[in-house]
Amino acid sequence: MTTEKAPIIEVRHLTVSYGIRPALLDVSVSIEPDQLVGVIGPNGSGKSTLIKVILGFVRPDVGEVFIAGQDVQKAKGRVAYVPQRGAVDWDFPIIVREVVMMGRYQRIPWHRSPSKEDRDAALEALAMVRMADFADRQIGQLSGGQQQRVFLARALAQGADILLLDEPFAGVDAATERAILEVLERAKAAGKTLVVVHHDLTTAAEYFDKLILLKQRLYAYGPPQAVLQEDLLSQVYEGRLRIFAGLMAKEGA
Amino acid sequence: MEFLVQAFWAPLTETYFQKALIGGCMVAVVAGVVGCLVVLRRMAFLGDALSHAMIAGVAGGYLVMKLLFGLEAHAPGMLLGSLLAAVLTVALIGLVARISRIKEDTAIGIMYTGVFALGVVVVSIFRGYIHIDLMHFILGDILGVADTDLWASAVVAALVLSILILFFRHFQLATFDPVMAASIGLPVLLLDYALTTCVSLVVVSAVSMVGVILVVGLLITPAATAYLLCDRLDKMMVLAALFGVTSVIGGLYLCVWLDSAGGGAVMLFCTMQFLVVLTVAPRYGLLARWLRLRRLVPQQVVEDILTTILRHKGEALLSVIRQYVQQPVNLPKALSQMEQEGLISASGGGYRLTEAGEKEALQVLRAHRLWETYLQSIGTPQEALHPTADRMEHIRADGTVEYLDEKLGHPARDPHGQKIPPREENENQT
Repeated sequence: MTTEKAPIIEVRHLTVSYGIRPALLDVSVSIEPDQLVGVIGPNGSGKSTLIKVILGFVRPDVGEVFIAGQDVQKAKGRVAYVPQRGAVDWDFPIIVREVVMMGRYQRIPWHRSPSKEDRDAALEALAMVRMADFADRQIGQLSGGQQQRVFLARALAQGADILLLDEPFAGVDAATERAILEVLERAKAAGKTLVVVHHDLTTAAEYFDKLILLKQRLYAYGPPQAVLQEDLLSQVYEGRLRIFAGLMAKEGA
Repeated sequence: MEFLVQAFWAPLTETYFQKALIGGCMVAVVAGVVGCLVVLRRMAFLGDALSHAMIAGVAGGYLVMKLLFGLEAHAPGMLLGSLLAAVLTVALIGLVARISRIKEDTAIGIMYTGVFALGVVVVSIFRGYIHIDLMHFILGDILGVADTDLWASAVVAALVLSILILFFRHFQLATFDPVMAASIGLPVLLLDYALTTCVSLVVVSAVSMVGVILVVGLLITPAATAYLLCDRLDKMMVLAALFGVTSVIGGLYLCVWLDSAGGGAVMLFCTMQFLVVLTVAPRYGLLARWLRLRRLVPQQVVEDILTTILRHKGEALLSVIRQYVQQPVNLPKALSQMEQEGLISASGGGYRLTEAGEKEALQVLRAHRLWETYLQSIGTPQEALHPTADRMEHIRADGTVEYLDEKLGHPARDPHGQKIPPREENENQT
């Protein structure tokens, strides 16, 4: 692994548990800036937990997380995130414009209303994901891909260098998946670091610069061809390996 | 005329009615506003728990003030007691839900009945010392509002409304997306406690008017009514406050006209209001839903009409269309809706395809002929080709037709030797 750049996210000996069940065990990983990183692993392997720890929402039992060299609890607002679709209340009385404005909340002091500058920034972020025409829709009236893009716009409006996305490609059609990926690559080109929880191994190699293979423990971190190895995947996915036999032949691993 | 004056003006001249109106409206406004957050966070049960826990607090406050300071029915003492009991109950609920496998709704059920029972037992044991009318407590007495109650409500309303308006964005974000709220450094836990305290304050100030059982209704029903009409939180709060006020006004008149219990009349009016809105709300109401479903013309019928007209050289009489569309459907309605969508236009006794309609019809025809070709290739008997394809032609979503076209090697003609229309490029692109 080349280490010409200082890591922007550094996770050291991270252990998190819910009750007696460990979600993450002694995970250490250093993510360099300006990359599109995929997090893969079976259901319940701690992918979302890792995201929540990097966000500072879940506190680790053991271990530390540093954002650009700063402890995560002190680096509030440096990390933006796009929630899993199932985690959002789509009936909430809120319109697209307001959701994107939330990305600006950390800059607005409590005693002041959003200024014109804030409103412009929100609209600009909406335009970047090509959702400006939907600014006054209630969020439940959008299609799955449009909903995903609104939350992406919110993360962009936040202006953070690090974007965390929890399953952005779940339940959207192929055309939308490409549209979202295009926005992610533009964000990467603009100098952002993106960490994306992903469930589809067949597209993982194509989409990401690096992959994190997780199942409570960190099994691998590196370029896709190094991570998508038969012996590694068989350890993580156990009996379900047969599905991937064809895939690995295709990757030429 | 005189009757109207008697019905509407006369009560307004009575002091008890004026006090009830003022106190009720203050409580209703703040309950409606804070209720919006309670509804959106699905904490409705919490309001119930808080009001029930209060009785233990009132009894405790009464006893402490009487035994320690010799003060009889000391209102601030009882108020403080009920607040303490409310906060304690919430803390207990949170504790049980966090440290055991018991889920929150069950924990709420256990704790509020437990604390309520404690209150009832204490009140009945010390009935020699405590003069609390349990019935008053349970049903409330909006027509007997005391001046101290009015002042308490005014202070509570001002305090809670100021907090909610000043920190509106914080509460909005923490309710909508607590993970993001925490990630930008909002004190999510503190906001939770602040909201719970606000709810407790509102509940405590409202119980003396509508009673323990009905107070949760005053908290959530106006908010839920507004929820059916709004797509923005700030508007929902304003509307909920308005519905709260109308409930109090309507309920109070109902109560003097029918000579009924005050709290009951207010909540009855509030519920009726909800039912009316539930029925007629323009987007989320039952009537709107029913109309939407009724207006829906099956896509299959639309497509059948289009191909029928196309096969008759772009123009067909109603009787001809009726012959080919076999589904039991209100045909004139389907036709008029298609006219509105610009697919067909009426001409003389029949219907003609518009340009858009013809495009669409050709795509259905293309699907039909490709399906015929496919059916033949898998060995379907010649006479079954057309009727089967007639049903299959409607299956053309998600690139089905293009898939067929590719699998069949882009045929130019169908089994009957008819030309297969080309693909329309920009059709159904999103």
